[in-house]
Amino acid sequence: MSTTETDATVTCWNCGAPAGEGHFCGKCGSIQKLPRGTDYFRFMGLPRKLWIDMGELETRFHQLSWKLHPDNFVKATTGERELSLERASQLNDAYRVLRDPVARVEYLLAIEGMRKEGTTKQQAPPELLEEVFELNESLDELRSARGGHQNGAETAALRKRLEEAAKGFEERLTDVDAQLMGAAKEWDATVDPGDAAAGRAALGKMNEILNRRSYIRNLVRGVTEELAQE
Amino acid sequence: MGRTVGIDLGTTNSLVAWWNPATGRPECIPGPRGATLCPSVVSLDADGTIVVGEPARRRLLTQPERTIYSVKRLMGRGIADVQEELKLFPFRVDPDSEHVIRVRLGERVFTPPEISAFILRELKSWAEKFFGEAVDRAVITVPAYFNDAQRQATRDAGRLAGLEVLRLVNEPTAAALAYGLHKKQRGLVAVYDLGGGTFDISVLKLISTGEGDIYQVLSTNGDTHLGGDDIDNAMLAAARGDLGAQRAATLDAHPEAVQELRKALVAAKHALSTDEKTAVRLALPGAAGGANYARGWTRVELERLLAPIVERTMGPVRQALADAHQKPQAMEEVVMVGGATRTPLVRRRVEEYFGRVPHTELNPDEVVALGAAVQADILESGVKNMLLLDVTPLSLGMETMGGVVAQIIPRNSTIPASAQDTFTTGVDNQTGIIVHVVQGERELASDCRSLARFTLRVPPMPAGMARIEVKFLIDASGILQVQARDLRSGEMQSVEVQPSYGLNDSEIERMLEESIEYAEQDFATRQVIEARNEAESILAATEKGMTGEAGRTLDAAERAKIEAGVAALRVAMGGEDYKLIRARIDELNQATANLAEAMMNQVLHATVEGKKLSEV
Repeated sequence: MSTTETDATVTCWNCGAPAGEGHFCGKCGSIQKLPRGTDYFRFMGLPRKLWIDMGELETRFHQLSWKLHPDNFVKATTGERELSLERASQLNDAYRVLRDPVARVEYLLAIEGMRKEGTTKQQAPPELLEEVFELNESLDELRSARGGHQNGAETAALRKRLEEAAKGFEERLTDVDAQLMGAAKEWDATVDPGDAAAGRAALGKMNEILNRRSYIRNLVRGVTEELAQE
Repeated sequence: MGRTVGIDLGTTNSLVAWWNPATGRPECIPGPRGATLCPSVVSLDADGTIVVGEPARRRLLTQPERTIYSVKRLMGRGIADVQEELKLFPFRVDPDSEHVIRVRLGERVFTPPEISAFILRELKSWAEKFFGEAVDRAVITVPAYFNDAQRQATRDAGRLAGLEVLRLVNEPTAAALAYGLHKKQRGLVAVYDLGGGTFDISVLKLISTGEGDIYQVLSTNGDTHLGGDDIDNAMLAAARGDLGAQRAATLDAHPEAVQELRKALVAAKHALSTDEKTAVRLALPGAAGGANYARGWTRVELERLLAPIVERTMGPVRQALADAHQKPQAMEEVVMVGGATRTPLVRRRVEEYFGRVPHTELNPDEVVALGAAVQADILESGVKNMLLLDVTPLSLGMETMGGVVAQIIPRNSTIPASAQDTFTTGVDNQTGIIVHVVQGERELASDCRSLARFTLRVPPMPAGMARIEVKFLIDASGILQVQARDLRSGEMQSVEVQPSYGLNDSEIERMLEESIEYAEQDFATRQVIEARNEAESILAATEKGMTGEAGRTLDAAERAKIEAGVAALRVAMGGEDYKLIRARIDELNQATANLAEAMMNQVLHATVEGKKLSEV
């Protein structure tokens, strides 16, 4: 843990006034140094909640872009140009992550220290075990069919089965995404009352859902790639 | 502090423009002969003078081994990357070229940024003459799909030309800026930019907010090995096919003849944008008194050659729309940029794909420079009612164990963009960590574009204890910066980045010193050069007229007068007295007044009659 740099800027580098939370000094208007550990939610002036109004997010993004973009600082001091570069890039990163619903959840889990990926990426979620087993069998059949051990009709039927299996898994993704939204609402409900225990439970749930989601997406991608190889 | 301009440093032509406060519009700045286009051609005369633009283009025919065109194709590239180019273009590349290509002009060797700097210096002098003031800052445009090394090479060229490069702006974005201003356009816009050597497609959203207009790029894609030059080369290949192996070999042995043929083919290509058919005829060099090459071209035939090239543009177009999560029909406007978009086939294909007629009102040659001038004014004047939010075209990544790429910043991220990573050591007392940064979308680092390598310094300690945080930052010009910090000590480290394909700072310093000999030639010398260039131009026109049909209308007395005028002008050109050269030019102009009129009439006559095939 670094100790030589203060975690929050105490005063404005330009006029010495006490620094607030904003991007600019309240007194002299100079662009401020970005404190370490400023998360994307705080940066955009949003609460740490997963439901975000997209229109509102875009408006803030545009407003902050007008203020922070390096275009405004071409004639400023080198120091101010660097601060602008830092804040503008943070703004763009924040917008990119918060705009995407799944990336938003992953980010929240990361800053709350709750993002743990599946212990082995190969571990199938228990309720899917049987289907995954069947799918892998079909994939193996398809691979060996390339060696010429099957006739055309059998291969065609096999491909159809695989396509349907892939579609089935994709549909599960819709369910998974709905579950994610549910857990997100649960988290949001814990923020205002500050219920830490319930918060942790919701985060844990979302972590698990994300792992399931990645697993299924990798599965679907694997099948699609295999089928594309013909 | 001098003035600021916008510059389009193109593969085929370059332009300089400014924001005219009197008209409230951007305008291109003309050169000494009134043209706004400066051909991106550079030549080295035997006396060491560097010639740029139209006069250099003439030297392609007279001293091709001392002249170079389309140098943009070599910028930011290594020798392995340009093997295809070397087959199709007469670049005389030093085989020793390692991380920077070196090309030969006559007895001297230059790097591509140095050659581009000559072009930039020429444009700088046009602007300085126009304003009557020094010009020392510029916004320069680059293809959106240019990678980091290509951008750095462009910035280096600016520096070598004595210009502070305020920003590099992507060409399609600059065009959108010029159009947006022109049409007050809002909504989704696609910019299809097919230049001499590069293709870009960008999808933008134009929004009006309380503070002003935002031009937000949603996605960009392209091909930096694809352009109008490829059309020319396809026609050249067809001509070689016509000639047969033996005569083609004879042709290739005479570089100036190849350039003559290329010039004729380019003229035919342009003609076929408005005419259904045309012809190419040329006297070939050769042993037995030479022969004539003649061939008719129809638009249909040309389109057959063009079709695969146009199809190659569609891959990036589809990818850009997919990355923007948009369908082609969702584009409210489609803008065409670049000379090659004058081709009817290109326009038809674009109209077909997007389901609407593309915009072509603004001159496709000038629109990028105009947009650059707008951005230059925004940066210069601080008057802010337009904001460009551009993106990085290629994913930035790092090579990890096993040669796999770990992605740091994804493609189409709005810039400036940043990402952080923390490194540690694998071995006790390891004092350096090597980081290899690449650009591209592939899984393996070896399949991506190597950008740079740098070494992080670590104090000796057990393996796994070190914590070096690296911040990768892509700035508003799309160029990578790297900062490193030792988290344990809190100290910043200066990182020396070794570009994989490019000049390092000490090389540039050395070139800046050497370039003083080419820098601001004094006023008088410049005058002599300009006068000589004009003299060459009129001599070429006179010779053409005298040997053609119009020449036959002259009587003996007139002929003699013209010949005397030509001789006198040639004598004057050999000297340094520019006033004398100009006087002789005026005299020759008078002597050839009737000839000029006869030539004009002949041109009108030929156009009305239509073109015919000649007999060999």
